[in-house]
Amino acid sequence: MPGYYDISDILMEDEAVSVAFHVGANGVGLLDPGTETNSVEKGAKIDLPFWLAHELCRRRAVSITIPSCFGQKMKKDVQADAACVDLGTRYPYFYEFGCKLFPLVGDKSIGLFLRHTFANRYKEMLSKSHTASLNAIPKFVLRLSKEEYQLFEAARSSMVEFKKWRVRDLGLMKTTIVGHKRKTDLH
Amino acid sequence: MYARRAAQLLQELSSCEEGQLPPYNGDKFDQVIRECEEHSRQFQSLIRDKDIETKNEDHYGSFIHHLSIIRNKRCLMAYMYKRAEVIQSYRWNVGRVLPREIQDKLNFSEQEYFKDYCGVIDSYMKDLDLDLTVDMVPPKDPYIRVRVLSEIGEVSLGDHAVSLTKDSFHFLRRTDAETFISQGLMEEFVE
Repeated sequence: MPGYYDISDILMEDEAVSVAFHVGANGVGLLDPGTETNSVEKGAKIDLPFWLAHELCRRRAVSITIPSCFGQKMKKDVQADAACVDLGTRYPYFYEFGCKLFPLVGDKSIGLFLRHTFANRYKEMLSKSHTASLNAIPKFVLRLSKEEYQLFEAARSSMVEFKKWRVRDLGLMKTTIVGHKRKTDLH
Repeated sequence: MYARRAAQLLQELSSCEEGQLPPYNGDKFDQVIRECEEHSRQFQSLIRDKDIETKNEDHYGSFIHHLSIIRNKRCLMAYMYKRAEVIQSYRWNVGRVLPREIQDKLNFSEQEYFKDYCGVIDSYMKDLDLDLTVDMVPPKDPYIRVRVLSEIGEVSLGDHAVSLTKDSFHFLRRTDAETFISQGLMEEFVE
């Protein structure tokens, strides 16, 4: 579970969600740009940051509508080609956000959708991370969400360590085998 | 309002590389604190003379202000905590004295924190009689080649005496050489 001080958890909870208020609330007019009085009317539909929507939903003051990142269009995009969907720029906290959202919204399909998306993207990510060189950042990396990026970096750095280990100086004469390009999957 | 500025502070911090710090943003920090005071004032005006149990509009409004204050607090605490972690790592990676560029990024209390942390580590190492900050990466070789920078003279190391004249080269045990190297009297000779 992410801790109190975990910065990426805090930033993730800043994502905006659209909510419908079941009750009115006074003195918080700044939340609703369309209001004239300093309060939010019952039935108003506003965008709130997730940390606020989460607490209010627990006390049944609002109900959260499913954001577009888990909606029908997204589902179609993932069906078409999961690896091409740009999570990095549009929804960097896709998976964590989905995990926190789905108990509140009551839509059971979100969990399955998250797993399905991740499984489809994983294969592409695995092969790219093992072949990518250290200096070039493939364009593909920009499409990864934060969690996927951590996995990618872990795979890439372990690959670099492996390569270093292969050519390590044992204090013996280097043989020519090190220079050959062997046709294995690891290359 | 509503913790947007606090989130910006954290964005600034997380956009830096691992182990690096941006300069301490005192202005934004103070702005967030002023926002908390504003939320607190609004909160007070909404709950005054009201019965706590009735769940009317004022109750929910005051609840939102309360949540904003808690959220701002969490953001500010995480900001300080992350910076403190990086400052601690400076003692281990950089050393006792920080270069000018790093010192400029810390505010006054962070510099004090660094000094106190160094003091705590030093007293602990004194009790153990062991310097924990050397050899952070296990060395490959217990012996090391050194070049003497300034005249030290006759020194007895282990069972034999070595004459450490200026610009002479020696092959010493790493633990013996470390004390001289940290004082700047010797340097490691790397081909």
